[in-house]
Amino acid sequence: MTLDPSFIWTAFVQILPAIPTTLYITIVSMFFGLLIGTAVVLIRIYKVPVLHPLAAGYVTLIRGTPMLTHLLLIYFGLPMLIDSLAESFGWSFRSVSIPMIGFAYISFSITAGAYMSEVVRSGIIAVDRGQLEAAHSVGMTTFQALRRIVLPQAFAASLPNLSNGVIGMLHGSTLAFTVSVVDINAQAQIVASSNWKFFEAYLAAAVIFWGLTVLVERLTALIEKRINLYNRGGVT
Amino acid sequence: MGAQFDITAVFEYFVKLLPFIKISLLIVAGSIVVGLGVGFLVALPRLYRIPVLQRISQVYASFFRGTPILIQLFLFYYGLPELLKTVHIDVSRVPVLYFVILTYGLHSAAYISEGIRAAVTTVDRGQIEAGYAVGMTGFQAFTRIVFPQALAVAIPILGNLIIATLKDTSLAFTLGVMELTAKSQSLGQLSRHFIESYIALAAIYFILSFLLEKVFFALERRLLRHESRSETAERVSLGKKWLKRRLETKVAWTKGGTGI
Repeated sequence: MTLDPSFIWTAFVQILPAIPTTLYITIVSMFFGLLIGTAVVLIRIYKVPVLHPLAAGYVTLIRGTPMLTHLLLIYFGLPMLIDSLAESFGWSFRSVSIPMIGFAYISFSITAGAYMSEVVRSGIIAVDRGQLEAAHSVGMTTFQALRRIVLPQAFAASLPNLSNGVIGMLHGSTLAFTVSVVDINAQAQIVASSNWKFFEAYLAAAVIFWGLTVLVERLTALIEKRINLYNRGGVT
Repeated sequence: MGAQFDITAVFEYFVKLLPFIKISLLIVAGSIVVGLGVGFLVALPRLYRIPVLQRISQVYASFFRGTPILIQLFLFYYGLPELLKTVHIDVSRVPVLYFVILTYGLHSAAYISEGIRAAVTTVDRGQIEAGYAVGMTGFQAFTRIVFPQALAVAIPILGNLIIATLKDTSLAFTLGVMELTAKSQSLGQLSRHFIESYIALAAIYFILSFLLEKVFFALERRLLRHESRSETAERVSLGKKWLKRRLETKVAWTKGGTGI
């Protein structure tokens, strides 16, 4: 078995159709992660009575355990939970009807939620408290002030973290192969084992991931340039 | 799927998993040792701006940060024996564990090199000049002045990285290394008590990363005791390495991203 350079290209072409799956997982988990993260941050900042310790525990627990264990726990635990609930309440819904990728979406969203809550929190902290007070003094409600004043600035401040989060989830989505979702990694595995050319296939997969990562970085740089237009502070 | 949930099984599996902690920790320790060595070598050309080598170490860091660790594991496991075969070294009998340690080592080296760069640049250039002014050589100034200060900055970075590596070792099961995750999977398969064994697994990882975090926090406090009023940045606990840490001089520490 020797290195077959031409097969790298063949594998590359064969892996390409799996890119959307990886991107779906990344985008869906980031989207719900941001929603969960924002909710967690609001709960923690406003110290909502019962939910506050729960939110703190959620973040610590998720960040202290590997992403793989979340996926495995959801994959094995959720069907058990749903089925036993369905039996006792007489629902017709059974866990079998959840597609495999659904487990990946759910578990990665939970993972992303914990990490995103830190990102959102650091973004909100970065906005000076006086801004909110100024907004109040011109007669905005708290909701208006958050939406018009605080969140846009927090978004700009946390953009680098967000992009790192996207890249982290992009790389994390490779775990989806454990629940038999055919993403880039699983496709590379299939191509590799059906042609008995492992090195070439994984090299192609690595190149694709590298390219995607660079793409995310470049996009972030573009958005950052656009979003920081208002920022005329400093000396440059 | 599986048997009825049984809480006693969680404790039973927890105890059964304990002996495998040392395999996971071995991978972490081995990879950090490799990572520190390689990371230092990779950081040097960029610190001293050596023309061609600087570019190479940039591409190195970019590649290892731009591709998932899982892909890298497979790449090294299947690729390295083939590459070494061309120079007539047979590694087909080398245990998988070494490949795993090497891959994690090279992976963390990319992050460590960025960390070293960040840490060294936080030390004011005037410090080294002051070192020269009192007659130190370049080596003396580095080891006596820059290094101890850079270490204090680097410790939280290293701590985050070690915790992240610990969590990444859960992927080593894909190559058939019998560590915590692999063991919990086989325990689950034996008795069909998957949930219980994974809960025990999660508990062990959580306890380990919690302890590691406490150790590094204590270490950081001790190394920063020379600062009159500690200005440690807001801590991101149990850090995943792609969470950016803002250091005091606004040097970013990022996971993910290729930096080119």
